[in-house]
Amino acid sequence: MAKANKEVLYGLYDDEEVLLEAVHKAQEEHLEIMDVFTPFPVHGLDHALHLSESRLHIAGFIFGAIGTLTAFLFMTWVFTRDWPIIFGGKPYFSAPAFIPITFELTVLFSAIGMVVSFYTVCGMSPGTVNPTLDDRITDNKFCIAFDTTNADATISDQLRAFFSSTGASEVNVKTI
Amino acid sequence: MSAVVSPIRDPLIEGGKTYGQITEDICSPTERVPSLAWTVAFIIAVLGLGLYVFTVVWTIFYGIGSWNLNRTIGWGWDITNFVWWIGIGHAGTLISAILLLFRQKWRTGVNRAAEAMTIFAVVCAGQFPLIHMGRLWLGFFIFPYPNTRGPLWVNFNSPLLWDVFAISTYFTVSLLFWYTGLVPDFATLRDRSKGIRRKLYNTVSFGWTGAAKHWQRFESLSLVLAGLSTPLVLSVHTIVSFDFATSVIPGWHTTIFPPYFVAGAIFSGFAMVLTLMLITRKVLKLEQYITLAHIESMNKVILVTGTIVGVAYLTELFIAWYSGYLYEQYAFYNRVLGPYWWSYVGMMACNVLSPQIFWVKKFRRSITITFVMSIFVNIGMWFERFVIIATTLARDYIPSSWSYYTPTWVEIGIFIGTLGLFFTLYLIFTRVAPVVAVAEVKSILKTAGDQYVGPNAKHQHETETAKTASH
Amino acid sequence: MNQFKFAASHKAVTYGMMGLGVLCLLITFLIDDELHTRFWSNYLHNTVFFTGVAFISLFIMSAFITAWAGWYVTMKRVWEAYALFLIPGLALMLVLIIGLWGGFHHLYHWADAEAVATDKILQHKSAFLNKGWYTFGTLIIMGVWIFFAMKLRQLSLDEDQYGTTEYKYHHKMRIWAAAFLPLGGFTSAALVWQWVMSVDAHWYSTLYAWYTGASWFVSAMALTILTVIFLKFMGYLEAITEEHLHDMGKYLFAFSIFWTYLWFSQYMLIWYANVGEETVYFQTRQREYPVLFYGNLIINFLVPFFVLMRNDTKRKYGTLVFVSAVVLIGHWLDFFQMIKPGVLHTAHEVMAHGHDHAHGEEAHHAFMMGFHFPGLLEIGTMIGFLGLFIYFVFSRLEKASFEPKNDPYLAESLQHHV
Repeated sequence: MAKANKEVLYGLYDDEEVLLEAVHKAQEEHLEIMDVFTPFPVHGLDHALHLSESRLHIAGFIFGAIGTLTAFLFMTWVFTRDWPIIFGGKPYFSAPAFIPITFELTVLFSAIGMVVSFYTVCGMSPGTVNPTLDDRITDNKFCIAFDTTNADATISDQLRAFFSSTGASEVNVKTI
Repeated sequence: MSAVVSPIRDPLIEGGKTYGQITEDICSPTERVPSLAWTVAFIIAVLGLGLYVFTVVWTIFYGIGSWNLNRTIGWGWDITNFVWWIGIGHAGTLISAILLLFRQKWRTGVNRAAEAMTIFAVVCAGQFPLIHMGRLWLGFFIFPYPNTRGPLWVNFNSPLLWDVFAISTYFTVSLLFWYTGLVPDFATLRDRSKGIRRKLYNTVSFGWTGAAKHWQRFESLSLVLAGLSTPLVLSVHTIVSFDFATSVIPGWHTTIFPPYFVAGAIFSGFAMVLTLMLITRKVLKLEQYITLAHIESMNKVILVTGTIVGVAYLTELFIAWYSGYLYEQYAFYNRVLGPYWWSYVGMMACNVLSPQIFWVKKFRRSITITFVMSIFVNIGMWFERFVIIATTLARDYIPSSWSYYTPTWVEIGIFIGTLGLFFTLYLIFTRVAPVVAVAEVKSILKTAGDQYVGPNAKHQHETETAKTASH
Repeated sequence: MNQFKFAASHKAVTYGMMGLGVLCLLITFLIDDELHTRFWSNYLHNTVFFTGVAFISLFIMSAFITAWAGWYVTMKRVWEAYALFLIPGLALMLVLIIGLWGGFHHLYHWADAEAVATDKILQHKSAFLNKGWYTFGTLIIMGVWIFFAMKLRQLSLDEDQYGTTEYKYHHKMRIWAAAFLPLGGFTSAALVWQWVMSVDAHWYSTLYAWYTGASWFVSAMALTILTVIFLKFMGYLEAITEEHLHDMGKYLFAFSIFWTYLWFSQYMLIWYANVGEETVYFQTRQREYPVLFYGNLIINFLVPFFVLMRNDTKRKYGTLVFVSAVVLIGHWLDFFQMIKPGVLHTAHEVMAHGHDHAHGEEAHHAFMMGFHFPGLLEIGTMIGFLGLFIYFVFSRLEKASFEPKNDPYLAESLQHHV
């Protein structure tokens, strides 16, 4: 994530439906949105922004499979090769008894792996400081932001016109 | 999610709230000076916690002999409490995960607190396997790590070890699920605060900005975690039931235990959620977010799971007769008419009979009755574990081994102490985090808020999202 | 198109299927052993399977009504029709009951007076396992179920005709549906114990009723998916989209896993404790019927688990049809392996009733088609029962519109989107 200073022109909306319409309009006018910020997930927004689908579930599956194999193979090795002991008259390779732990480790690896992946790809960790455009975005305002670092006045005006035509309640500039 | 809402549904957010009001209502309790009610409750809870520390230190210092476990009742209040606490913890995951998969919007009013309850309940439950070891400083032996004793591994074939993995996994995954959901809400608190408070909330919110891509990943993660947590919650109490069912003891070895334990866990968990929520909503003035509709839904779950538990009891009784197996039949005869008959009666009365009251709508929507019932259910579920454990062990195969068990003050103190531990943690939670999931409640406002849905709806709401979204 | 018309050509196909079923039953009867074991066990197997699907459909519908579910109402007529199949189900059970009293079949060891006379366990169980209880239990309990099925159906039809925005019919339905849940739960266990568990008369398992319930659930969901996709193919149920099918796919996935969980619980606990009286059930199946035993798990767990895990597969009609068909056959096989080993054992016991051979001693039987594995006659018989089921269900579908126009959740269902 580039940490060089950016100039951001952003507009705040009061309602997510108005926001969605604005996003659609921006796509129609081929305006390049830097990002959209909302206080809660807005249904249909990722589609409107043509965001590619998250692949976290694939990571989850892979981590889970690693957990399954780790658990099952380890227990098999311990009880058939390393130190075989007869428990309750059962065979050394007591597959039914291996299932509960195998299942738990699958879930554990999958969950931890996915959560760590999630925070990694989002660039988040304890203490990450992300410059917020406006404190009210996590409250009740919806924000469309454009990167105007290298933009000239015409683009700025176009964007401001876009904001006022789509019903933004405020438009501001910030350097982050 | 369907944006069209049937007119027959109750609104889930009352008071015609705006997004800003939701933030204010739910976040402000963490910003105010604690109320008198909170302070008094906290003092009592901390006293309980102190009792816990004292009795545990006493146990470690004087040994397990300070308890009344004997031959043949090797498991008494310790394991009863362990199963009781784990069972309570299940409701949180059910509300978060299973109700998410079933798209039940009402979960958003209670899921944050319920998930917190799960974590604290699991913390309390986890104490018992440790302290009942006696030499708890050797507790790490239960983990399979390479060592110089062979290496001597743990017995992966034993349900007691399956428990270790199950509860560790359950604690970890619940914590991750709860925390993931908390991050956006911590960001909300961060943006409302200044100075050191802001720095603290920034640390715990990981720099959350609310970017669209992040929310997209967040929803994907929540859904998969929910999908994982659902079989997980089933597996945890199933594995706990395996502690008993894998044995050959009559009354313990029965194939119905896994789903029956899970149903019972959900039953007691929801009761505890109700106990906590009824008090919380009153003290923090969140009645418009935790409405009678929420309470009624939870009471329905209690009725269903209580009935399932009742079906299981009757099945066990019938099959005990059907089996023709003398010892199995005696085990149940003993439960009903033996020296612990009072715990069986308590169990039946609290678990099977009393929830039937919830067939009546008026009672389902009564706060007083719900509160009383929530306590009864938890008492009943405690009795159920006691019946299964102590009653059964008291009279098994050989009459000359029969014994009786009453707890010592140390054991009683530990149990009350864990209540202190639980409430201490819960009360701290209510001070530092929003008790209701702020972002999630906002996301259902337009489909469940009373200005959009229900008898007082000012406008029938059909959002643009339904029209624009297509798959 | 909202009004179903049972096309003459389709009716003819179901007649053909039923005819095939009757033919197969006839052939089975003729080539069978002296006790007509194969004939009667095929009959029991299919009766229990399809009647159970009907019962569980009623249960599912009641659960959904009680839970305020709205997404499915544009297809609720399918489940209403499935539930009404309890009526022919009762008629089918009546044949078994008559067979019981007339001594025509020897499916149940406890029905054989000679066996009971010398067997302490059967004597003990005879207070429950007897012809009287079997008869009256079935008649009364199924009678009650049919009453509820018809009641909910009538309220649903009345709502179409007379319903207003006060939703009085819906509120009544909720009460009846809620009442059915505990009733159905308790009584179905009793019938499962009588009809299926008692085939292995010396054995028992407290989980058994829930396990068969889960198997019925998955079967019903699979059959529903196939029916819905077929109806859509014919131009009906336009309001049902991939969104609804996605949900049904999720149920198929989730309950296949739930079934596997119950299978594992029952198996592992019996394996672990290693008590001879219990393990004999699985020993027989693992040793003498291994194809059925392991096949059951592979088909009913591995296939739905891996195929339905991804989000996109639950939205593809072709994949859903494939997986539903596999799982439907898989759970039919599940009931096959629940019933056949015990029936075969009983038949051998009854036929050997002069000879003194220790009970529990499992002579290794040579492969018997129709017992160790379903043969063409079993498949033909199944097709016959399926034909009957489809014929009956489609005839019911003709009696009501697919669109429940006064249902309070109609708008939600029409706009349903996941």
